[in-house]
Amino acid sequence: MDEILQLIAIIAVVAGTAFSTLGVLGFIRLPDVYTRLHATGKVGVFGVVLLLAATVAWTPLGWSKGLVLIIFLLLAGPVTSHALSSAAYRIGIPFATAVRDDLAESSEGGSPEEVAA
Amino acid sequence: MQTWMILLLWLMYLGLTANLQLSNLVVGLLIAVTLTAFLHPDPLRVDVRQAPGAAWSLARYVVVVAKDVIQGGIQVARLVLDPKLPVKPGVIAIPSGSESEWATALSAHAITLSPGAMVIEIGEHGMMYTHTLDTTHADESIAEMQRLRRDLLEKILPEE
Repeated sequence: MDEILQLIAIIAVVAGTAFSTLGVLGFIRLPDVYTRLHATGKVGVFGVVLLLAATVAWTPLGWSKGLVLIIFLLLAGPVTSHALSSAAYRIGIPFATAVRDDLAESSEGGSPEEVAA
Repeated sequence: MQTWMILLLWLMYLGLTANLQLSNLVVGLLIAVTLTAFLHPDPLRVDVRQAPGAAWSLARYVVVVAKDVIQGGIQVARLVLDPKLPVKPGVIAIPSGSESEWATALSAHAITLSPGAMVIEIGEHGMMYTHTLDTTHADESIAEMQRLRRDLLEKILPEE
């Protein structure tokens, strides 16, 4: 039983760290604030949750505590992504490259460039 | 009545303290009752007759969202690792298909949770303006996922 738990913990730590690294890599490589938020959001979802799963499997942290923490993280993570991207759009930070922008064409929008001008 | 809200807060407290001694049970219950009495949250309505169906829909919803999140994660990982960085970012409008604010908010949450898509703004009639890393076939796939999510959410949430 200990070996199985240890194996789960090892796999979760490796996968979580890999996804966190990918998130940082994406944060450096992607061109603008909106695309970068996708990369950092991934750290929150995969990185932290997998590391917490490893913690539950291989340290005295109770599973119920880990579960509640994971649920809180999964509930709050998207809210920060949304709040940051929405704020960035409203203060008029432009897209580096945008293939299409339905929001600018709608009544709610006004493209970031127009808002800035 | 706030019974269900108190129960939820109590379970959360017990989960976080991970301690089932009688004194802790009592303290948790007191905290839950006091919080509900002072903060007056919107009461959770639970229809006991529909509860099993709603729980089943909730379980399916979790599985659907988890699958979406894992697929999105792998897709974004491949995009980031690709030397050419073939992103085609853009904002697409996706109707949530529901007039209920809760269903729209939870759909937007699920979309933002999955890597590679993120709701920037919610317009009138639950139109969700979604920023995606790859706009080429995001339209149909996200809209299709959205129909599935909406059907499940409407079974989970009680009628307004």
